Amino acid sequence: MKKILLTLIAALGFVVSAQANTGGIAWDKAPNKTNDLAALQNGAKLFVNYCLNCHSAAFMRFNRLKDIGLSEQQIKDNLLFTTEKVGETMRSAIDPRQAKAWFGANPPDLTVIARSRSAAGQGTGADYLYTYLRTFYPDDTKATGWNNLAFPNVSMPHVLWELQGKRAPVYETISEHGHEVNIFKGWEQLTPGTMTSAQYDLAMGDLVSYMQWMAEPAQNNRIRVGFGVMLFLLVMTLFAWRLNAAYWKDIK
Amino acid sequence: MADFKEVSPNASAGAKLTNWFENRVPTAFDAYRVHMSEYYAPKNFNFFYVFGALAMLVLVIQIVTGIFLVMHYKPDAALAFASVEYIMRDVPWGWLIRYMHSTGASMFFVVIYLHMYRGLIYGSYRKPRELVWLFGCAIFLCLMAEAFMGYLLPWGQMSYWGAQVIVNLFAAVPFVGPDLALLIRGDYVVGDATLNRFFSFHVIAVPLVLLGLVVAHLMALHDVGSNNPDGIEIKATKGPDGVPLDGIPFHPYYSVHDVFAVSMFLMVFSAIIFFAPEFGGYFLEYNNFIPADPLQTPLHIAPVWYFTPYYSMLRAITNEMVYVLIACVLGGALLSVVKFKMPAIFKGVILVGAAVVVAMMLSIDAKFWGVVAMGGAVVILFFLPWLDNCAVKSIRYRPDWHKYMYGVFVINFVILAYLGTQPPSAIGERVSQVGTLFYFGFFLLMPWWSRLGDTKPVPTRVNFVAH
Amino acid sequence: MSETLVDTQKFDSSKRTWLIASTCAGAVGVGAVAVPFVSTFQPSERAKAAGAAVEVDIAGLKPGEKLTVEWRGKPVWIVRRTPEQLTALTKVTNQLADPESKRKPDEFTPVYARNEGRSIKPEFFIAVGICTHLGCSPSDKFQPGPQASLPDDWQGGFLCPCHGSTFDMAGRVYKNKPAPDNLEVPPHMYLSDSKLLIGEDKKA
Repeated sequence: MKKILLTLIAALGFVVSAQANTGGIAWDKAPNKTNDLAALQNGAKLFVNYCLNCHSAAFMRFNRLKDIGLSEQQIKDNLLFTTEKVGETMRSAIDPRQAKAWFGANPPDLTVIARSRSAAGQGTGADYLYTYLRTFYPDDTKATGWNNLAFPNVSMPHVLWELQGKRAPVYETISEHGHEVNIFKGWEQLTPGTMTSAQYDLAMGDLVSYMQWMAEPAQNNRIRVGFGVMLFLLVMTLFAWRLNAAYWKDIK
Repeated sequence: MADFKEVSPNASAGAKLTNWFENRVPTAFDAYRVHMSEYYAPKNFNFFYVFGALAMLVLVIQIVTGIFLVMHYKPDAALAFASVEYIMRDVPWGWLIRYMHSTGASMFFVVIYLHMYRGLIYGSYRKPRELVWLFGCAIFLCLMAEAFMGYLLPWGQMSYWGAQVIVNLFAAVPFVGPDLALLIRGDYVVGDATLNRFFSFHVIAVPLVLLGLVVAHLMALHDVGSNNPDGIEIKATKGPDGVPLDGIPFHPYYSVHDVFAVSMFLMVFSAIIFFAPEFGGYFLEYNNFIPADPLQTPLHIAPVWYFTPYYSMLRAITNEMVYVLIACVLGGALLSVVKFKMPAIFKGVILVGAAVVVAMMLSIDAKFWGVVAMGGAVVILFFLPWLDNCAVKSIRYRPDWHKYMYGVFVINFVILAYLGTQPPSAIGERVSQVGTLFYFGFFLLMPWWSRLGDTKPVPTRVNFVAH
Repeated sequence: MSETLVDTQKFDSSKRTWLIASTCAGAVGVGAVAVPFVSTFQPSERAKAAGAAVEVDIAGLKPGEKLTVEWRGKPVWIVRRTPEQLTALTKVTNQLADPESKRKPDEFTPVYARNEGRSIKPEFFIAVGICTHLGCSPSDKFQPGPQASLPDDWQGGFLCPCHGSTFDMAGRVYKNKPAPDNLEVPPHMYLSDSKLLIGEDKKA
């Protein structure tokens, strides 16, 4: 078996002590493709195909995908599985009670997860999701057979394992201050997936960007309107400043 | 209609219309004169004097955006979180109204803290403006209640658990505590009943009280006239026409000045709304994007940033700290009995009172004294006019080291605020305890330290440089 | 005034300039801010989704039967008319207030329903089941012949129980009845011979 050692980018470091939020590893920086319509559309496709089986996005309407460049017909043809109406919300078909029985926890709704998982000092929710989706590893001691470095002991299996393949984290034991510490060094690919590591990272970037967009679909519009508002207020403030000066020159 | 004012038949339509109203509701015209065109404000107002007008603006923004939010929000524990996302996504431009309201809430506190700071450094609370200050403190209390109750409404994890913690504080009150908490909640835990009543208070009850208090605040102010950065009473030097020499009519000079201030403020306000509405998780907390779950508490519950200084003080009162406070109570009682001349009966009362307080502090949980400290930190502000014994009002004419006192007070307040956002730690606890002692010492010892040092001579006319 | 002020009597040009500029800019600003607020009144995405077009399967509908579906909170009738009911339409023309649906056509009769049967396919009649008088839902009176509240030569149609308005099998209102207009034909189209879409039509 070929051992492929892959080192993750920049910030991956130690397996942290109990102080951290989830007790997981430091987060990688997620690529921000919320202005890339092609990436968002790919992300939407991945989301609907891999996530909606168990998770809902109960506040996200299918027809809102028109904002990322899809037509109603494209949405109907490619993305509507559990409903027939394009105005409906993305509800999962799974019964929450069954999900709890199978996984131990009800799969949370994902509509705003990219906002809720942000943590000061660690990164944005998108960073967390990007790291989470790329750090699953097989673990026989778990009911699902999977564990995760960003969310230790998570109840979710690695639904994208066919794309990424199976990989195990590699640790190196070093001596620090008199005791031994396990340092995460990288990954060992156990079985290949249909995507290379680089392709998988790109795909996860798309998926996470889609989730980032889904958490606040108005965000691109918000920024655009914001520029207009700031410009107007700049002019208004200029006028107000001169108006003020015109009156106050009277005061001695 | 003998009292009617007549206007010439050749007068313009506008003048005739104005005259029609003036004859029928002269009070409105008198009010305009009293409060705007003939309200003589000191001409030397500086940057710190815009925050009152900005506070009024933010109040209006909150009310207007609140009205539009209530059209779509559902005050039901099962529907509230979803209704907020409905506003963000399905209601045309709903996201803007929501961000205006959430940013407005935080900006309200930014503006109010700066407004209070101005009052502190220029002695605006001193005679004859004590009542202005008291109404202001009442407004601050109401604002805190309003913000606290409003924060429950989105029904996120922070909303729920923040409310749970704070309402449980009331349970710390001896004897009546648990029943009081039950009465506030309307249930055994924070739930739908709590949400509905907080909604009612937040939307109508407290806003009405706030509006009434703001009116009272402005009336009390306008009746005695505004203070100024030099702390000089401009009414002491009037011209032959009875108008203060250093006074200028509020309208048009300060109305125009406030328009400029409003423009600048709106730039800051808009920059946040459009480019950083979460403001790093301080204005919209990340955990609040998770629906409330009564069965799972988030790892770190912290109140919203504007409550964190007081939260630090609450956490600082541990069992250890209560002993320190006991020492302070005893020390304070003994000092006052020894230092001041007073009838023996008063001394007796003070000593007995101190003994009773110490007995209570020994028998009642530190948790309760934490609540007392937290509440006391706000209540002590009400007493400020009677704690300040300095001969001069404004910091400009006080001994230089007073400036450092105020500077340290502000830095201390900010440190307490920061510590309140962090999870508890050993160092944080110590620093908060020192900070709490400084905060209370600043006020409780003010009757003494404000009299120390040499004040500078106060001029009779204000310092003003023409623009 | 006090000695502080000079030149207060003269309202100089700089004040005027900036006052006008600021007022205009302010008015534009207030107008611009009003737009999003007023827009929140418009139907939300949820309302629009709930008001979306309804698909109806009419394969099982037998001649003489009526099917009712809900669209935008209103009852919509789909009646499969029998040949007798179709011929009867010509018999009552002079008893109707507006036999050719000329009154307010844009409100009640879309272009494809401006024919004798007021429908796309003569066999299937589609109408909003709300009386044009005050909004009650008329009852089916498909049986011809004399009946209570109906004339002796009744050919079949609908009778509104609230104030007695009557409509024929093409929803056309009879003369001298409280209802002023024919029943509204909603926008609709056929997706196939058995699938009807209520709420959208080809021009949309």
